[in-house]
Amino acid sequence: MRKADLITGFVLLALSGFVIWSATQMPASATFGPGPGFLPLWVGVILAFLALLLLATAWRRKATGKDALSPFPGKQALLAITGVLGGLGVYILLIEALGFLADTFLFVAFLMKVVERERWPMTLAVSACTTAGLFLVFQVLLGVTLPSNSLGF
Amino acid sequence: MSFFHNILLGFQVASSVENLLFCFIGVLIGTLIGVLPGIGPTTGVAILIPITFGMNATTAIITMCGVYYGAMYGGSTTSILLNVPGESSSVMTTLDGYQMARKGRPGPALGMAALASFIAGTFAVLMLTFIAPPLADFAVSFGPPEYFALTFMGLTLVTSLGGNSPLKGLISGVVGLLVACIGIDAQSGVARFTFGNINLLDGVGFIGMAVGLFAASEVLVNIEEPMQQIFTEAKLNFRSLFPNLQDWKDCFGALWRGSIIGFFIGVLPGAGATIASFLAYAVEKKFSKHPDDFGSGLIEGVAAPEGANNAAAGGAMVSLLTLGIPGSGTTAVMLGALMIHGLRPGPLLFSTNPQFVWGLIASMYIGNVMLVILNMPLISLWVRLLRVPYKVLMPLIITISAVGVFATDNNVFDMWVMFFFGVVGYIMRKMDYPPAPMVLALVLGPMVEMSLRQSLTISHGSLAIFFVRPIAAVLTIVAFASLFAPLIKILWQRYRSGRESTVG
Repeated sequence: MRKADLITGFVLLALSGFVIWSATQMPASATFGPGPGFLPLWVGVILAFLALLLLATAWRRKATGKDALSPFPGKQALLAITGVLGGLGVYILLIEALGFLADTFLFVAFLMKVVERERWPMTLAVSACTTAGLFLVFQVLLGVTLPSNSLGF
Repeated sequence: MSFFHNILLGFQVASSVENLLFCFIGVLIGTLIGVLPGIGPTTGVAILIPITFGMNATTAIITMCGVYYGAMYGGSTTSILLNVPGESSSVMTTLDGYQMARKGRPGPALGMAALASFIAGTFAVLMLTFIAPPLADFAVSFGPPEYFALTFMGLTLVTSLGGNSPLKGLISGVVGLLVACIGIDAQSGVARFTFGNINLLDGVGFIGMAVGLFAASEVLVNIEEPMQQIFTEAKLNFRSLFPNLQDWKDCFGALWRGSIIGFFIGVLPGAGATIASFLAYAVEKKFSKHPDDFGSGLIEGVAAPEGANNAAAGGAMVSLLTLGIPGSGTTAVMLGALMIHGLRPGPLLFSTNPQFVWGLIASMYIGNVMLVILNMPLISLWVRLLRVPYKVLMPLIITISAVGVFATDNNVFDMWVMFFFGVVGYIMRKMDYPPAPMVLALVLGPMVEMSLRQSLTISHGSLAIFFVRPIAAVLTIVAFASLFAPLIKILWQRYRSGRESTVG
């Protein structure tokens, strides 16, 4: 946890540096009163201060039991999380090309089969029900136009 | 007279077939969310925003409110039967509730939880009816400095009261303010932090961010620790749910104290239902003639926190509706939803949209009655629902979120926003950063900035404007006090421990 706090401290410090720099490029004052750069500048300064505070407290803190442990999970859980995120990323990428129905079905099937290691009958049933349910709610009941592929579904 | 006029208007609005139906759907979904571990009320409300997008504002908010207090009801069921709190606000209920269930009295514990929720929830709505209008009248005279001070106070209170590390709460809020700066500045037309991306000119979409921070990150956290199937052996029938006369006698004090504590804690921005339930339990223990028996299955140990968390949900609506300051993550998401529907919560809401405000309040009376009816006879059905495995739920939550976010604007970019904040939210959860301040800052950000710049324009750049106007001064001082409260606490503890060591 201590290491994680130190890393976030540096990341936030870098972020605030970028924000302060960008804010100085914007006009700081308009004809009447403060301009668009005013708030980002000060928020950047405050963030820099907080990041330094975080760094200082993490640096000075004696290592507690919690600090020895990484806040992030082991390999297996990390793999599952990457699976879900990767699947979601691909899902978003392909939704306009594949169309909502095919894309959603494949995504849910991927989550059930690869991430959750369900058996095929369960996988197919859940994928079909989820896709059909969402289609019913959004397209039929709410009248949203969901993406469809070049074949028309 | 005007009070009766208003409340009649409210019931007229709330009892239309459409509103009744969606109030019912809302409390039903809310109970479901409360019962199922792994999906919280904030997630539920965030997912519902896109679904309620096409409805008129009143119906949409009635549905979301129903989810909010419905989840408070449902959360108690798993706490009592399985020792698994469905929400953080029902953690205290597990202490005595689960013990009661183990000692063969699950029925009265569940019944009292539902009835205490009903009594305290109704009390809170009554208080809301009487307190909100005068407060709104008072706030009508606010100018930009008061608004800035108020929103500033709301932000600092939420950051300093929620979560265990005030510093991390602050960081979360400040980063949220930065995200709020993205897009075209409304006052000058300058594009800020858009990196040449046209999708960002309009700012970061609130729905994508809220759904990502709450729903997507919650899924990621839950995947990590596979949830085992949980069952209960408890036999329940309708008659066994009613507490007996002795139970009522034991609970009388707990009920009214829990209601009052819950309501006023709920009104405070930043302190939500969770703190209210902790405090109510502690107070009950203090007032009790046999404090040592708490934790061994006392019914007042169920009534106090359950009443308090429901009353807090009502109290939170006071500051949300009259001042536009949400008290918790869930109400912050609801504030965002209100703005999407073109309603700006705040003192003027009561005069510009009376049918909305009073319709919502009346629907909360109706919703509370629906919940008792829904919960008492159907409780065994809810318990059976627990067998739905998370494996099935997970793909459903994630696809509803993604499609819902897409559906609001038919824009794939919003899905990427959700994806990004899902990852950010996951890292934040893992490292103890509360997500609520970030969402709140995004919602309040534009208002903070506008009122700040307007105030400084009025004062020709002098910050004194926030201290010479009396109302603004009080609010600013409270804001700073809450910012420095953790520091003062640390210094005080050092001072005390220093004195003890010199004495000893």
